[in-house]
Amino acid sequence: MSALLFIIRRSLKNIIKGVFKKFSTLIGYIVVIAFLALTLILSMSGSGGNIRSAPPELFNGIAVLVFTIMYYTSLSVGIEKGSTYFRMADVNFLFTSPIRPNDVLLYGFLKNIGGTFIMVILTFFQIPNIKNNFVLQPYGIWMLLAAVAAYALSFPLISIIIYSWSSKEKKRRQILKRILNIAVLAIGAIALISLSQTRNLGSTIETVFNNPVFKYFPVIGWTASIASYAVSGFTPEFWVGASGMLALIVGISIFLYFMKLDFYEDVLVGTEYVESALKAKREGKSIKFNEKIKNKENFKLGGKGASVIFSRQLLDIRRYSHFFFIDSTTLWIIIAGIGFRFIMPDEVHDFSMLLVVCFSVYMLLIFQMQGRLNTELEKHYIYLIPASSHKKLFYATFAEHVKNLADGVILSVISGLLFKSDIGTIAACALTYIAYGGVFVYTDVLCRKLLGKIHGKTLVFFIKLMVTLLILIPSIVSAIVAGAVTGSEFWTIFAMGGTGLILALTLYILSAGILDNIEVAG
Amino acid sequence: MLVVKNLSKKYEKVEAVKDVSFEVYPGEIGVLLGPNGAGKSTTIKSIAGLLRFDGSITIDGKENKTIGAKRVFGYVPESPAIYESLTVWEHLEFIARAYELKDWAEQAEKLLVRFDMDDKKKMLGKELSKGMQQKVSICCALLINPKMIMFDEPMIGLDPKAIKELKDIFVELKNSGCAVLISTHIIDSIEEVWDKVLIMNKGEIKVNRTRAEMEASGESLEQVFFSVTDKEEGQ
Repeated sequence: MSALLFIIRRSLKNIIKGVFKKFSTLIGYIVVIAFLALTLILSMSGSGGNIRSAPPELFNGIAVLVFTIMYYTSLSVGIEKGSTYFRMADVNFLFTSPIRPNDVLLYGFLKNIGGTFIMVILTFFQIPNIKNNFVLQPYGIWMLLAAVAAYALSFPLISIIIYSWSSKEKKRRQILKRILNIAVLAIGAIALISLSQTRNLGSTIETVFNNPVFKYFPVIGWTASIASYAVSGFTPEFWVGASGMLALIVGISIFLYFMKLDFYEDVLVGTEYVESALKAKREGKSIKFNEKIKNKENFKLGGKGASVIFSRQLLDIRRYSHFFFIDSTTLWIIIAGIGFRFIMPDEVHDFSMLLVVCFSVYMLLIFQMQGRLNTELEKHYIYLIPASSHKKLFYATFAEHVKNLADGVILSVISGLLFKSDIGTIAACALTYIAYGGVFVYTDVLCRKLLGKIHGKTLVFFIKLMVTLLILIPSIVSAIVAGAVTGSEFWTIFAMGGTGLILALTLYILSAGILDNIEVAG
Repeated sequence: MLVVKNLSKKYEKVEAVKDVSFEVYPGEIGVLLGPNGAGKSTTIKSIAGLLRFDGSITIDGKENKTIGAKRVFGYVPESPAIYESLTVWEHLEFIARAYELKDWAEQAEKLLVRFDMDDKKKMLGKELSKGMQQKVSICCALLINPKMIMFDEPMIGLDPKAIKELKDIFVELKNSGCAVLISTHIIDSIEEVWDKVLIMNKGEIKVNRTRAEMEASGESLEQVFFSVTDKEEGQ
């Protein structure tokens, strides 16, 4: 174990030393920690629970829902590729060294506790939100953190066991995935039926996810029950959950530690995936796991000169989309936009479409930060095509607008039907979505042109976010003014979309020259 | 030293390696040649104990996944992956601890000098170029004074001086009685050093000959390689 402890010790020491060596990084960390600490202190010093005293059932329901989503996503990746605690350096050095596989697994486990620590810190800063909405039990927050830790420790263990069994036959893997998907679909259907009856997301969560079946459901229910101590105190389900999770984690660990292990192959593929995901993250790209690419013969390239860029992107979209332009982004944006309207208080429900479009464009901003243009600009082809920079920029971004048009129309029509809105507001909603999409695309281009190559993708992301928000100020102000003057939802959204369109066009004109050479593109 | 008997490896329904058997003796350099997808890396990974397989693999008389076998073999993977937050020197220290080596520091210094890495001892893994990472990976494998060592495409990313040093090291290892197995698809890179050639294609070993046998037949390595792979393609 001395070598394994050596890596952990030295790595930690070098990371801390690295932070102190880079003054700008140190300042960044200090600012973020100070900001979060201040938020925490202010919320702690306030009179918690007095702003909105939501029922403990809602908290318990949210806990079950959140852990269901967390376990579902992590286990479905686990079934396919086996979750892993390791990096490729561990594979190359440790797996081939004369150290017992059981000790190597223990080392991986210790490393994962480090990862858990980050999750615990993230949860820690949700405290102000929770405190503002619920009356907390003494030491409630600590139990919430314990639930997060229980999740982070248990899912890799469960994944390893499941993967070891399912990796032997493709059929087993398919059966497990099917069971998991059917279970989630069933839960989703139950929740939707309840939602259609109550038309209130809060009461749906309370009724559906507070069901004893969910509360005592192994692993998911147990973890959520630990979290539920935060508002409900010591309940029978807390004791069942806490003892269940403890037995599970200790049991699987002992089982894995003492059995004759041969898990290296099981984690190898998962580790390679983690490595490519981290590499993509460092390069500012997103990696989509196991995404299906449709390679049909009727998908053909068209166009001449610069327009071939659009044609290629169109082909790309069709190969990845479920149905023409509809892909997972469309679904997430619709779910997030409409879901946001449901969690907002009744007082603002007169502006349902505005709520939907605001949250959807916020989601679009995040999605589009890693968009198609990024992929286009990092390859040399676009710079070599003999056409003007303006023309190439137009075609390189056109597919993004077409996709936004499709998503915007679908989102607006569904929300319009759901919230009984008029045609004008639906159209204004779609216009705003497309216009803001354009603003995001060309702000990204303009930032690249002005800033050139900046090291540190996080910094670039932060700068782009800030610049986008600054650019959008006139649009937001015009929407507020229109809303205040007319009191109409249509004019508020229309003002937002109209100014957004003007901003997008201005940014497009200012972005000329980005495709002159690869250095300008950053 | 290295004995592989009836090695087979299946990924789902794809048979990546089919009933492969060969030996590499002490003081012998074996090269595993083959086109992309021939099964070379799967064979090497199976020998390194990273994959489950059917058949048997022994190193120095011990089953390859045992602690005893692991103590005596070195492995240089195809893609160097090193710890981002460990320095070059700490990598060597880590290996020394993992293999419980004694008096390793002097040899570590020598290896770093040979690969022009002695002035980069304090650099972190994440600060190294791919070629430098490969050099660290090679130094780590050599530090344990292995009785058997495997190199998976070792020349990729190395500068000319490092390639020359590595070729010298192959010969030194051979002279010291170490069994060396090199997997590559670049024939020129091992032309001067090999003793035994194992040409793989479609998961099988098509040719298993010594240099003496090859010289007696009057054929060059390249001729044999293409006669095997082209014939297979034509079928």
